[in-house]
Amino acid sequence: MQFDHDKGKPVKKKSQRSISTAVQLAAMILLSACQPDMPAEVRSGLVYCLEGSPESLNPQLVTSGTTIDATSRQLFDRLVDIDPEDGRFIPALATHWEIRSDGLSYTFFLRPDVQFHHTDYFEPSRPLNSTDVRFSFERVMNSEHPFHAVSGGEYPYFQTVEWHQRVARITTPTPDQVVFYLRQRDSSFLSNVATDFAVVHSAEYADQLLKQQQPQRIDSHPIGTGPFKFREYRKDVFLRYYRHAEYWGQASSLEQLVFDIEPNNAKRMAKLLTHECDITAYPRIAELELISKRDDVKVQEQTSMNVGFWAFNTQKPPFDQAKVRRALSMAINRDAILQAVYYNHAHTAHSLLPPTSWGFNPAVMSVPYDPTAARELLAEAGYPFGFSMDIWAMPVQRLYNPNATRMAEMIQADLAQIGVRVSIVTLEWNAFRRQLRQGEHDSVLLGWNADNTDPDNFFRPLLSCSGIDSGTNRAHWCDPAFDAILAQALLTDDQSIRRHYYWAAQHYLSEHIPLFPIAHSKRFQALNHQISGVSINPYGGISLADARKEP
Amino acid sequence: MIWQFLIRRLFLLLFVFFALTCFAFSLGHLFPGDPLTNFSGISQPSDELLPALVQQYQLEQGYLQQYFAFLSRILQGDWGLSLSSQQPIITELTQVFPATLELVAYALLISFVVGVPLGLIAAIKAQHWSGRFISGVAMVGYSVPIFWWALLMIMLFSITLGWLPTSGRISVLFEIPASTGFMLPDIMLSKQPYWQAAMIDALRHLLLPALVLATFPTTVMIRFTRDAMLGVWQQSYIKTARAKGLSRSQVLYRHGLRNAMMPVLRQLGLQFSTLVTLAMITELIFSWPGIGLWLLDSINQRNYPAIQGGLLVISTLVIMVNILMDILHTLLNPLARKQFNG
Amino acid sequence: MVKFHWLHSKAEHGPLYQLWSVFRQQHAAVLGLILFCFFALTALLGPLITPYDPYLQNPDALLVPPSWDEQGQVRFLLGTDDLGRDVLSRLIKGASYTFGIAIITVLGAMILGLLLGVLAGMSKGFRASAFNHMLDLALTIPSLLLAIIIVAILGPGLINTIWAIMLALLPQFVHGIRNAIQQQLEQDYVIAYRLDGANQLQILRNVVLPNIWEQLTILFSMALSTAILDIAALGFLGLGAQSPAAEWGVMVADALDLIYLAPWSIALPGLLIFVAVLSVNLVSDGLRAAIRKRQES
Repeated sequence: MQFDHDKGKPVKKKSQRSISTAVQLAAMILLSACQPDMPAEVRSGLVYCLEGSPESLNPQLVTSGTTIDATSRQLFDRLVDIDPEDGRFIPALATHWEIRSDGLSYTFFLRPDVQFHHTDYFEPSRPLNSTDVRFSFERVMNSEHPFHAVSGGEYPYFQTVEWHQRVARITTPTPDQVVFYLRQRDSSFLSNVATDFAVVHSAEYADQLLKQQQPQRIDSHPIGTGPFKFREYRKDVFLRYYRHAEYWGQASSLEQLVFDIEPNNAKRMAKLLTHECDITAYPRIAELELISKRDDVKVQEQTSMNVGFWAFNTQKPPFDQAKVRRALSMAINRDAILQAVYYNHAHTAHSLLPPTSWGFNPAVMSVPYDPTAARELLAEAGYPFGFSMDIWAMPVQRLYNPNATRMAEMIQADLAQIGVRVSIVTLEWNAFRRQLRQGEHDSVLLGWNADNTDPDNFFRPLLSCSGIDSGTNRAHWCDPAFDAILAQALLTDDQSIRRHYYWAAQHYLSEHIPLFPIAHSKRFQALNHQISGVSINPYGGISLADARKEP
Repeated sequence: MIWQFLIRRLFLLLFVFFALTCFAFSLGHLFPGDPLTNFSGISQPSDELLPALVQQYQLEQGYLQQYFAFLSRILQGDWGLSLSSQQPIITELTQVFPATLELVAYALLISFVVGVPLGLIAAIKAQHWSGRFISGVAMVGYSVPIFWWALLMIMLFSITLGWLPTSGRISVLFEIPASTGFMLPDIMLSKQPYWQAAMIDALRHLLLPALVLATFPTTVMIRFTRDAMLGVWQQSYIKTARAKGLSRSQVLYRHGLRNAMMPVLRQLGLQFSTLVTLAMITELIFSWPGIGLWLLDSINQRNYPAIQGGLLVISTLVIMVNILMDILHTLLNPLARKQFNG
Repeated sequence: MVKFHWLHSKAEHGPLYQLWSVFRQQHAAVLGLILFCFFALTALLGPLITPYDPYLQNPDALLVPPSWDEQGQVRFLLGTDDLGRDVLSRLIKGASYTFGIAIITVLGAMILGLLLGVLAGMSKGFRASAFNHMLDLALTIPSLLLAIIIVAILGPGLINTIWAIMLALLPQFVHGIRNAIQQQLEQDYVIAYRLDGANQLQILRNVVLPNIWEQLTILFSMALSTAILDIAALGFLGLGAQSPAAEWGVMVADALDLIYLAPWSIALPGLLIFVAVLSVNLVSDGLRAAIRKRQES
């Protein structure tokens, strides 16, 4: 049974040597985390685990929070920013601005010497001036503009706020002044200019692209003034930025910023724990307690203006009846959802607006949980035996809805109590949104993150007629009476008068229930302990400009 | 004899190619939705584009003309656009395909290096506890669902011990331009100053998925080598050799192993197909950017042009490899036999 | 045809008895058989023996660990998931899904395979050779890949999965049965029977079929382990049974999000898939060894 001994010995020695080399190699592979000779690009690079693929690299074209997080505050700047502490407007590309007394024109004075990105596909010859600003906004509002139809010609945020009807024209009296003329007084104008969607592109780059006949590259290979410049994007894999060394503010201490695209929540968390990611977006609330016990991970928390809701497709029977919508809402046990889906890191939503908004109406009556009454109401509406419907559950995790599929399963169980049979639909995120826009759903679980402090930013995108075309009004609800209230509210700057209108709007909604608000939740972010300087903006995307990585 | 055999196999190859393209073509019509979209990947062609596309795809003609139009497009590399990214399918395939091949190749290598010796031991010491142990482990490995196994490995080595990364081919901080599509050669070719660090990082990423993927073929290899070896051991030429006074290891090497390896080699083809399938699951769990992950994403996204292209590539690969292995095996076998007879 | 032999095996030294006497000497195989029977019973009685409704949500008992844990509760023996559903009940229900449906699928494939295999086995000539070539080709495609392809065309769902796996298992049945039949046709007693004036149908019914049941059992057990793995894998990939169905593969996929909070919710369903497949493989191996030994003796 044994091999010959005299032959076996040298073989053994040889194998011992090869085993020891193998062990050395294995040790090297396993322990290489503490390699000293890592190059600077790698050592001072930051990896942010993003929850989905950005659909475009131009924030003007999108509404999704994922894209905004990855692009808006990294690649670009806005004319005006919002102070995350107190919600006031602070200078960005514009150092200051003047509003004419009738409120119909805004003049912005641009910061001198703001450099655009130098990349291997574009070499800017001049710093930012007023033509860049005009180019960026005219592309959005002027359908004759050579870039308007590029990449589909849809500017959902601007369409929702009816930008082209509000802004008459933009002029550039001098290279460092740009003037916006409004058609009527608009108290939300500065808020709109300060949103993450209103970014400034390079007009010079656009001209070059027109000459090269590749205008669509402006959205796939962007040039901005932000703290990072674009390097490489592989959909579903990663998005790579380099540092913008000539940034007008404090240049970043990071050589590289990489967004590692990982839609799966568990894998994102695993990557944080194995240090493959430095920051992970949307850690699951359930795990916060667990990871905060670890030394190498910390958790940031920020109250955020958002709402998670269940929208009914109000153009499809039977959801066109307010009674049916109310009955369905009454059957839902929100407390249970808050516990199982949000792990009690959220408040029950009584209105579309979060209580922190100045427009919140504390007098609005929330829909009570009452299955018996719900069943009676359903019978009254003509459905004593219930009906079948579908609930579309968004496939991605969002702040306002950490687990839509779970939520859908709970609603499914709740509705079974009143005889309504539910099938749950989940699709891949892009396909999901495409089909929602076509109105193929009966109802959908979604939510909204505020882009600015203005209450208008909740009502108009989610429930105005213009929100249907731009794809943010998933209830497909178009009510002229409601739109009239919203329009009235914009005609004055007096906050107490505006508040009055928004109270009325919330009262109106509590009667019609085109969508059923479920929760307002807090925003969390889990970081490696070496990372500091990351700020979560309560009104929009994340900013990594000041992020630092301790060696 | 050999030529006749080769010609018949060539014929079979052609036939398979015909059948597969027919299958892929019919998918365009079988999938829900507009065949034009399913073939081209353009969801709403503009009015100017529409007639040109209908002309190009011969959609107003009979199925036969459509098939030939399809075939010529496939051969020219025009596989349509991906519905989700609007990139040409063929470009995406060239990005993801090498990643899968790389993973499968390493797993196959591991299964050979580990499986064959273990199988030999299991055969030689069939009654000894070590032989039984190896056979038992092989049985366990044969039965384990790969996705669960992969998760257990991640839970142990990545999350609990923190030794190995969980996903991707290399840390995203390393910038390795894709020239061949295979990570390790690409790192060599990249001429980055940090190529050594990158290489170690890539190996760390490779280790866990390759081990997980290698589990099943290794166990098959053990079982197969053992059975083949036990079979060969009964043959008369072995008995003759032993009677001639050759030592056990000489017999083992000169006669047993070489003969037992023939059917094991043949397994390679079959193992390859199984590996490609298991690689799809492994890729999903380890976020390995290969064709399996890509195809599963496409199925989820109802991205029909991509499903069509992906299935065509995978099934062609699997069947071609099998036929080639078959040819190789037949070519080698008589030679081998001659050598041993002489 | 099984009945035919069952009658014979009542005799002390019938073939089935001989087989059993060899089989039971292999402890691992007997263990496998016990496990197999346990799973089969659970799959059959599933709905009757679950302590709770597997889909009942208990909002007041979310993520309760198994009862041996300090924080566990006795009423939930294996704990609850993140919706407060009893894991034990779901696992029992899952036996009917993963194990039960696998058996049905394989039975379906076997019946179809028997039909086609008989046709292929009894026919000769060019048609048979072309058919055999196609079959060999189809055999080289792994069943899971074939199932994924079919599901990709039909769309995800449990029913489609069953069809897909049935179709994917078909080639190996046809191949195995055809070979077994052709082997039988070469036997002396078949030739003798034919010389007696028996026609094809009589040969098939009276001689061939009663003598290939051993191969059928082996084919069945091999296909069963593949079917269980495939159903679970498709469920895991989101192509097969859909959440909230208590299919084991789906349960693993659902629990992915809980990998840190509730590792047992991944470990348990996976363990069951593993043990189920292992039991089938042990029986299958034991059967093959027993048949080989019996034929040798």
